[in-house]
Amino acid sequence: MKAYWRRFHAQRLFVKLFLVMVVSTVTVCVVTSLVTVRMSERLFTETFGITNSKVLYQIRTGMESFNDSVVNAASHAAQNGTIKTFLSGGESDSVRMAGTYFGMHQQMRQTKSNVDAYNVGVTAVGVNGRTYSTDRNYWPVPEDRLIDHSLAQRTEAEPKRLLYQYDEERGENGENISYIVASKALMERTTGFVYGKLYISIREDEFRRFYGNFTSAGNDVLILDGSGRIVSSNREELIGTVSKQLLDYAVPSEGNEEIVRRSADVFGRNSILLSSYIPEYDFYLVNLIDRNYAAGKVVNLRDLILVGGLIVGAALLLVFLITHRQTRSLTVLVRQMSTVTAKNFDNYVRVTESSGYEVQELSRAYNYMLDQLNDYIARLLETQKEQRNAELAALQRQINPHFLYNTLASIKILVQKGDKEAAAETINALISLLQNTISNVSETVTIEQELENMRNYVFINHARYGDRIRVNVFAAPDCMHYRVPKLIIQPFIENAFFHAFNEKPEGMIYVLVSQSEGKLICEVSDNGDGMDDAQEWTGTENGAALPNSKSKRQLFTGIGVRNVHNRITLLYGEDYGITIDSRKGEGTKVRIILPLITEEI
Amino acid sequence: MKGFKKLWLPLLASAMMLSACSGGGGGNAASSDPEKKEITIWAWDPNFNIAALNLAKEKYTADHPDVTINIVENAQADIVQKMNTGLNSGTTKGLPNVVLIEDYRAQNFLQAYPDAFRDMSDKIKGEDFADYKAGPTSLDGKQYGIPFDSGVTGLYIRTDYLEEAGYTVDDLMNTDWDTFIEVGKKIKEVTGKDMLTQDPNDLGILRLMLQSAGSWYLKEDGTTPNIAGNPAFKGALETYKALFDANIVKMNSDWSQFVAAFNNGDVASIPVGNWITPSVKAEASQSGKWAVVPTPKMKGVPESVNASNSGGSSWYVMNVDGQETAADFMASTFGSDKELYQQMLDEIGIIGTLKAASEGDAYDKADEFFGGQKVYADFAKWTTEVPNVNYGLHTYAIEDILSAELQNYLKGSKDVDAVMNDAQAQAEAQLK
Repeated sequence: MKAYWRRFHAQRLFVKLFLVMVVSTVTVCVVTSLVTVRMSERLFTETFGITNSKVLYQIRTGMESFNDSVVNAASHAAQNGTIKTFLSGGESDSVRMAGTYFGMHQQMRQTKSNVDAYNVGVTAVGVNGRTYSTDRNYWPVPEDRLIDHSLAQRTEAEPKRLLYQYDEERGENGENISYIVASKALMERTTGFVYGKLYISIREDEFRRFYGNFTSAGNDVLILDGSGRIVSSNREELIGTVSKQLLDYAVPSEGNEEIVRRSADVFGRNSILLSSYIPEYDFYLVNLIDRNYAAGKVVNLRDLILVGGLIVGAALLLVFLITHRQTRSLTVLVRQMSTVTAKNFDNYVRVTESSGYEVQELSRAYNYMLDQLNDYIARLLETQKEQRNAELAALQRQINPHFLYNTLASIKILVQKGDKEAAAETINALISLLQNTISNVSETVTIEQELENMRNYVFINHARYGDRIRVNVFAAPDCMHYRVPKLIIQPFIENAFFHAFNEKPEGMIYVLVSQSEGKLICEVSDNGDGMDDAQEWTGTENGAALPNSKSKRQLFTGIGVRNVHNRITLLYGEDYGITIDSRKGEGTKVRIILPLITEEI
Repeated sequence: MKGFKKLWLPLLASAMMLSACSGGGGGNAASSDPEKKEITIWAWDPNFNIAALNLAKEKYTADHPDVTINIVENAQADIVQKMNTGLNSGTTKGLPNVVLIEDYRAQNFLQAYPDAFRDMSDKIKGEDFADYKAGPTSLDGKQYGIPFDSGVTGLYIRTDYLEEAGYTVDDLMNTDWDTFIEVGKKIKEVTGKDMLTQDPNDLGILRLMLQSAGSWYLKEDGTTPNIAGNPAFKGALETYKALFDANIVKMNSDWSQFVAAFNNGDVASIPVGNWITPSVKAEASQSGKWAVVPTPKMKGVPESVNASNSGGSSWYVMNVDGQETAADFMASTFGSDKELYQQMLDEIGIIGTLKAASEGDAYDKADEFFGGQKVYADFAKWTTEVPNVNYGLHTYAIEDILSAELQNYLKGSKDVDAVMNDAQAQAEAQLK
C-alpha cells in the first residue's frame, strides 16, 4: 500500500495532467456534440417549418385549381337547360324522354370534362327524383338514398355556395370509404327554386394526392373542415374523427395571417403546427411536424455516441501515451536530480533519446552545470592548495636575520681568536646553507642535498655553541636520490637543538632516513628533555605539541610543526605527514612520512 | 492534437447530418423474364368475369403452386384507357399479363399494337370456339384472343305481364320486332309497364339487330363505314324508332338504372345478351316469372335470324414478363378445360364459347327461376346460329356519331335515309 502510494506520489504530475486531459477532452467532445445536435435540430426544424410553409402554398395551389375545375363544372351544370330539364321535367313519351336522357348524358359528359383531370364522380339529383351519375361505382350511393342524402341538407341551406363536405360510404366489400364531396344546389336564378343538386365526389385517397407527396413519417398533413372534423389526412386512422383541439390550434388567432405557425402538443406529440385556411373549401390545411421524430431522423444518436466515443477513446489513448512518456522522463529526471546531496556533485543525469526534447535539453544543461560546478570547485581547491603551499614555502624560506647576525658574530669571534681555519669553514658552511636556502629555486631537493644542508647547519651550530649536542645521520643509501620538499627536515633538527636540551647539558640527535612500504621515512629523534606527560601527536589533533618558539637564535622563524605537517598533507595527501612521540625525560621522536619521489616537480 | 479534435467533432457531426439526409434511391433495371411466375390479370365484373377468373385460378394453382396470379378489378373504361395510354406511349410497363377486352374493341387494339399481344396460335385453335368469335379475336390468321363468354342474346320476358296482357310465351317464340312492339303496346296498355328499358346513349339493341342480319357498322374490311345504303341498317333504324314511337321504352342512364328497371319490375322484357342472367336472377322474388325466348328478328330484312350477339369478351395475353406462364394458364383453363366451363355455368351462369364445353349436365339443367326452362341449352343452341360479323376497328366511334343522329331521327327532324347518309358522311370524315 505504501509502495503503491509512493509510486502514485511519484506519478502525481502524470496523474494530474492526465486527469485534466481526460476531463477536458470528454467535456469538449460532449459539449460540442450537444451543441451540434441542438443546433442541427433547431436548424432542421426551422428549415422544415420554412419549406413546409412553401409546401402548404403548393398544396393550396393544387387544391385551388381542383376547386376551379369543380366550380367550372358546377356552373356549367347550373346554367345548362338540358340538365335542368332532366332534373326537373316530368315524364313524357319515349321519344321525348330519349332526347332528354341523351341530352343529359351529353351535357353531363361536358360537365365532367371540366374535372376530367381528376378521378371524380359527378352525380346530379333532381327534384323529380331522377338521378344521373357518371360513375355509380365511384360514389356508391343508392338512388333512393341520394334524394335525401345527409349532404343535401346543408346544400339546400346554402344554395348559393359550393360546399365541400365529408362523406363516408360503404364500398363493395363492406368497407367504409371516405369521400370529400363538393355539392352545389342547382337553382333557378329568377325564382330561387332549387331544382336539383350536383355532387362532385372525390375519394379521400384521391384527394390525398394533393399533398401525399409532401408527407412523410413525422410530417403529417391533415385537412379539417369548419367543425374540426378531419376530412383527409395521410394518417388514415384519423380520417373522419373530430378534433376540436386541433381546430383551435389551426384557426388564426388574430388578424388574417396567411399561415399559422405554432408549437403545440397534438395527439400527444410535441409538434410544429402549420395551418392555412382555404376559404374556397372552408377547410383548414394543417401540417403537423413531429419535433422528436423529425429531429430524431436527423441525429442518429447511436452513431453519434459511437463515433464520439471512438474519437474520445483514441484521443485519450494518445494523450495517455504522450503524457505518460513526457512525465515519466520528467519523473526520472527529478528522481535523479534529487539524489544530489550536500557536497556531492557527481550525480550526472542520464540523457536518453526517448525522454523527449525538453527533458533532454534540461538534462544536458543540468549535467553541464554540474560539470562546471565540479570544475570550479576543483580549481578552487587547487588554487587554495597552491596558495597555502606557497605561503608555507615562503615561511620556510624566511631566514631569520638574527641567525645570520649571530652566526656572523660567532665567525667574528673565531677570526679574533685567530682560528682562521674554523672561521673559513664556518663561512663556507654558511655560504653553502644560504645558497641552498635562497638561491636554489627548485621546490624539491634530494635527500643528499637536504642532508648536506643539515650538516652545514649543524656545523654552524657547533661553531657557535660548541659540540655538546652531537648529530648523527643515518641515511639508507637507496634513499639518497629521493626528492623531498626543501628544508623539510631542517626545522626539526633546529627544534631539537634549541628546545630538547634545556635541562640536560648534552645529548645526541639522530637523523634516520629509510624507506618502508613505499614511503620515505625520515626520523629526527633526540634523547633530550622530552615533553610533559608522555604523548603522541599525529597532526590531526588541533594544537601544537611542539613549542612554536620564535627564538632569535633559529634559522627560521615562525615555522611550526603544524605548518610543516599541513604542507606535507597539502602536497601529498592525508597518507603523509608528521607524527611526534615524546616522553618527559626520555626525549622526542619526530617521524616525517613522505612519498617516494624521484623526479623534480 | 486538441485543436484538431475540436475541429473534428463539428465536421463529423455535419458529415453525419449529410449522410442522414441522403436517402436510398435506387431503381430496378428492366429485365426480361417470360417465365416469371407471378402474373397479373385485369377484368371488370366481380360477379362475372372476375368470378370466372377465380375459379380458373383455383384450379390452376392447385397444379402449379409456384405460380402467383393477381386478379385486379378495374372498370372497363379504366382498362381501355390504361391500355390505350400504356400502349400509346410504347411501353407495356404497368400493363397486366392478361387483359379482358370486349370483342367490339378487340380489333382496335390488335391492329394498332399487334406486337403487344402474344400470338396464341401455338396454344389454342380458333375453330375450337364459337365461329363468330373468330372475327374479333384473330388477326392475319393468327389467333390472339382466348374467346371467353358468349354474348348470345335472347329475349328475357316477364311471363306474368304477358299473361296479364293475354299472351303466352309461345306468342313471342321466334318472333319479329313488329310483334314484339305490338305485345309491348298491349302490355303497357294493360299493366302500365314499359316493354323495355333503354339508355339512348347505348345502342346495344341496334347492334343486336344488325348482327342478327349478319351486318355491322363497318364492311368486311373492318374499316369502311357500312351505313348508307345498308338495308339491314335501315331496317334496324326503323325498328329502333318504332320502339320509341310506340312509347314502350323506359329510359335509363346507366347500368344500375338498367338493372333496377327490371329488378323493380318496371319493364316486361330485356332483349339482351345472356350475361344479364345473373343480374336477373339476383331479384329472387321474381323467380318463375321470367322466360327466355329467341331474339326477335327484323321482319323487313330477309337475312335477319332469331339469334344475335351482344357484347362478349375474350382474354388477351400481353407480351410482358411472365407471358409464357400467362399463356400456359390461359390455354390450360379457358382454352381447353371443359370442366371449368361447366363449373362457370353452374356457379356463375357464364356461357362460354368453347364448342367442346357447350353440352353437359350444367347445360341440361332446368332453371326454376325461368319456370323450369333449360335456358343454357337454349343459349348454347342459339350461339351456333349467331351470324359471324367483323366488328372492325371503329364500333364505338361510329356509335358516338350515330347516337346524336338517332336523336334527330327519333324527333322526326330527319328521315331515315338522311340520317344514314349524314352518319356515313361523318364517319367517313372522322375515320379517315
